[in-house]
Amino acid sequence: MSVSLARSMSTAFEASGQNGPGTAVNPSPAKVQIRNVGFHYGKFQALKDVSLALHDRRVTAFIGPSGCGKSTLLRILNRIYELYPGQVATGEVLVDGQNILAPGLDLNLVRAKIGMVFQKPTPFPMSIYDNIAFGIRLYERLPKSVLDDRVESALQRAALWNEVKDKLRQSGLGLSGGQQQRLCIARAIAVRPEILLLDEPASALDPISTQRIEELIAELKSDYCIAIVTHNMQQAARSSDFTAFMYLGELVEFDATEKIFTHPTERRTEDYITGRFG
Amino acid sequence: MAAEHILKSYDEELAKLNNMIVEMGGLAESQLVSAIDAVAKRDSDLAAHVVEGDTQVDDLERELDNLAIRLLALRQPMARDLREIFAALKIGADLERICDYAANVAKRSIALAQTPPIQPVHALPRMGTLALALVKDVIDAYVGRDADKALDVWRRDEELDEMYSSLFREFLTYMMEDPRNIGACTHLLFMAKNIERIGDHATNIAENLYYLVHGTPLTEIRPKGDKSSLEVVAPDRVTR
Repeated sequence: MSVSLARSMSTAFEASGQNGPGTAVNPSPAKVQIRNVGFHYGKFQALKDVSLALHDRRVTAFIGPSGCGKSTLLRILNRIYELYPGQVATGEVLVDGQNILAPGLDLNLVRAKIGMVFQKPTPFPMSIYDNIAFGIRLYERLPKSVLDDRVESALQRAALWNEVKDKLRQSGLGLSGGQQQRLCIARAIAVRPEILLLDEPASALDPISTQRIEELIAELKSDYCIAIVTHNMQQAARSSDFTAFMYLGELVEFDATEKIFTHPTERRTEDYITGRFG
Repeated sequence: MAAEHILKSYDEELAKLNNMIVEMGGLAESQLVSAIDAVAKRDSDLAAHVVEGDTQVDDLERELDNLAIRLLALRQPMARDLREIFAALKIGADLERICDYAANVAKRSIALAQTPPIQPVHALPRMGTLALALVKDVIDAYVGRDADKALDVWRRDEELDEMYSSLFREFLTYMMEDPRNIGACTHLLFMAKNIERIGDHATNIAENLYYLVHGTPLTEIRPKGDKSSLEVVAPDRVTR
């Protein structure tokens, strides 16, 4: 019957509940609490009072037109913005209750907990093995056999091991774009972070490599809290549990992904995802 | 109304989908009008014309399905656009069924016209007119994306159900009174049931329209007035 089918399409947004974005659909705790975060590039305010939670073992997608602040928000989450002068973040980002924006925090520990992968694959100009081992060596002194296991495990997790196990000593730069991106993901997870930030990780890849990355995201979410910035709305719809729509530095809507893509609350979200944005 | 898509051709395709539903709705109305007329006037030529006309609706439904599949595959619609296409697919199927029922009524009217006229046949056009009003109103509601009007149709179907229950008893009575009425009344019973089902499909359309507009399904229990399935023929009432 028509109603039952219609109902099946809408179960997800029923599940999103009325008590704030996605609260009912998600039993997992909030790993990251973003509270009233603002951001300035010099005098330009790139983010305005953004508040939302990233849940553990869930994927949260950030969508929105270029310049809406989604990548900026990701950059705040591991304080990478501090590399640039004149960039100031305000508000709080609580990771397991600890404000990582607070001064005096050990930045290396923050970044060990929070791995990041960028749009363009950025393998180091060294061997595949060393690309993975490099980060591990920064934080831990391990016997070679243990290090070997960690490298293999990271490459296995990133679904790259079978393709590179016989050429670990070859340069990471010799891999294809999709393999390089998975190498970067392997590098990020090798240091055993708790949160993975993916900034358009598949935008430069062909469809097959893109699907491999998406499959990888689905695999990894059982262990990590994942945030992904993407311009590909189908990718956000396929890969994430929650979606945040941002526009002009503001968080317009944040809810269960199914709700956002079938029946968003905000007109601006609907216009954007249906391709009506003026 | 929603703003236009950045891709104009997308708007054109969605408008085409909408127009096809409206065209199918118009055909459903005219098929039903003709079928009722054929019954009332014992006009077998008109009835045959309705039966032949059914293929036109089938063709339109296939065309609609193809366009909807194409839109789903090529546009990967989201939110309201997705609901528009989903609703069009469902509504198209309901309209096709409505036309099938109209054709069935017409087909039986040809057989009925070959038997002597009996009194209760006059009740059928009354029922048909009510079903026609439901179809017409729900198509109007679709054109205006008017969920309130759709809800009104959804509720009014109860009246059609009640009329069917009442006719069901009336036909039974005629059959019990004189077994020579059984042939004609059996045809009439099926025709009445066809028309009652047309009302049900109009409510399906109303439900899908409600979903299209609001994004949430109609979860209320629909009021139903068809009690014919509970009807028991007491043996002592049968004329021997």
